[in-house]
Amino acid sequence: MTGVRITASAVYAPGTAGDPPADQAHLLLGRKGLLFQEPAVRLALCAVHRALGLPPGRTVAPIDGAAGTAVVASSNFGNVQTVCNIVDQVRADDLRGVSPMQAPNASSNIVASSIAIRYGFTGPNLMICSGATGGLDALRAAALLIRGGRATRAVVVGTEPDDAVAAALSGGTPAAACVVLEAAGPGPGPYVEMHPVRRDDRRETAEPGWLRFGGDESDDSGATGVLRTARAARRLLDRPDARHALVTCGSAADGYAGVHLEVAGARP
Amino acid sequence: MDIAITGSAMRTALGGTADTYAALLAGRSGIRPLAFVDQGQVNVRYGYHIGPVDEEGERRASDWLTACVAEAAVQAGLDCSRQRVVAIVGTGLREMRGVERWHAEKRTTVPATLHFGAAVRAALPGIDEVITVSNACSASSHALALACDLIDLGDADAVVACGADAMAESMLAMIGRVGDGYSEAVRPFDADRQGVLLGDGAVAVVVQRAGSSTRSELRVRGVGLSCDAHHVTAPHPPGLLAAMRDAYQRAGLIPADAGLVVAHGTGTALNDPTEAAVLTGLFGDRPAGPRVTGIKGAIGHTSGSAGLMSLLVAGEALRHGRVPPIVGLRKPIPEAEPLDLVIDRPAPTGATLAQVNAFGFGGVNAVCLLEVTS
Repeated sequence: MTGVRITASAVYAPGTAGDPPADQAHLLLGRKGLLFQEPAVRLALCAVHRALGLPPGRTVAPIDGAAGTAVVASSNFGNVQTVCNIVDQVRADDLRGVSPMQAPNASSNIVASSIAIRYGFTGPNLMICSGATGGLDALRAAALLIRGGRATRAVVVGTEPDDAVAAALSGGTPAAACVVLEAAGPGPGPYVEMHPVRRDDRRETAEPGWLRFGGDESDDSGATGVLRTARAARRLLDRPDARHALVTCGSAADGYAGVHLEVAGARP
Repeated sequence: MDIAITGSAMRTALGGTADTYAALLAGRSGIRPLAFVDQGQVNVRYGYHIGPVDEEGERRASDWLTACVAEAAVQAGLDCSRQRVVAIVGTGLREMRGVERWHAEKRTTVPATLHFGAAVRAALPGIDEVITVSNACSASSHALALACDLIDLGDADAVVACGADAMAESMLAMIGRVGDGYSEAVRPFDADRQGVLLGDGAVAVVVQRAGSSTRSELRVRGVGLSCDAHHVTAPHPPGLLAAMRDAYQRAGLIPADAGLVVAHGTGTALNDPTEAAVLTGLFGDRPAGPRVTGIKGAIGHTSGSAGLMSLLVAGEALRHGRVPPIVGLRKPIPEAEPLDLVIDRPAPTGATLAQVNAFGFGGVNAVCLLEVTS
């Protein structure tokens, strides 16, 4: 079995989709537990919350089915602002002014671990910081965890924050997306099957008639691959005439990644 | 599935694999005054640096990684034109130091990427795929888990699992901020431990399907993974145990098969008693438990690289039958007293299987089982 299926997806994008910004994440997540959470973490939590179809407000962990669920997050600039803020305070001789609550945010895997803690996901937990292909690298790693028998379900998240340091380093837009993967198998359709992610020096080209997400790779956002996959999965199920989509991301410096999504099972 | 280690290399404050193992046997430490940052400002005075420390180079972690990957690839005879080769780099701090210096020193040139794609490609041009996994202090062990899965599932012919970390000012500051005084040395499992200090380094381990053509003596029998999903900094015993049990279950082995444990052992208030208690529980029903050692007292906490560095030291100990002592350990904490800790001098071992622990920020746990074949 090489395929996995996408069983849920969501985008949370303050800039383009009109969602409230990171500092208003409490509207979806409830107020508790958000203090000192990075903006990239807040956006990621909002995307997960939405993908899982949870009602607005504080969730009590673990949620149903959380045990053994893997988390694979992708972000390249999730904590760069916090890191720079800490260095500013250090060099101003104000170490005591840095809150110990910021300590976990100095570690880049704060996104993936915060998702696990909030929802109770005890499966393997990975933070991919892999450059422009990161979003699809995350989907690749998540599929590997499922195929390797390490998890029955994987919550895959891409997220990038809206701050001055991230903007200077990437030029990307703040956004998060979540794609939930499970093992492909017989079951009621239609659903979106994800074929193996491929990496290449060149961008892939789509077959005639396929939906195309990507092709204008220009930013270093670690969220892009997940964002495009989430949008593609939604579009495939919304459009009765569409069966295939090609999603790509990457850059000239980091190389390119691509994945073929296919509608499987009978349409109603 | 039999997975062989066909090449490996590391760089620590004490040198390469053989030099580091020899220094560990002699009880030597690579500690020195902390360089490159203002010790008073970060409230940290010591570190386990790779020299020279007169001037801080750009992308130090990348440079060490390139050297390690090149050395390991030659040992393994990798050929990217004939083999499907993938690299997975585990790191705690990425190349964040470059962002810190760019920001604080108001440099005009935006730093190159934070990941290690270019560092690996410099040693292995033509490699199919490089993925950087930023999984805190267990990152390189997570990389090995994915590497083994890629071989198991037939997705790659060879995978280079790596670790790379150079100290970052922000992480040093958080260590200085949360500690009471300042730590003079890393002293794993010691009653008078003062906390963690960082170490520099990189490591690369090539894994391939074991076959008649592989001469390697070392086998990765399984890597177990778990997430505490409990607390971002405090370790959670059920999560640690879950990763250990996952490793043995995947390998088709039981804890009684292990004769050596290379512990995570960070010398912190929370990790050491928690890890010791979990190990005591895991091996508790045995009349004589495995020897337990750790490397951070000699080379510091090398962050994401730590897991695979422990693995290579475990490999040396199994191959040579000598387990190095835990540098910095004099009087064990009560929780560790039931364990057969190696103190003061090397201990002989006839073990063929080692358990190697790595636990990270956010409750991300990875446990490797390494076997030496005769």
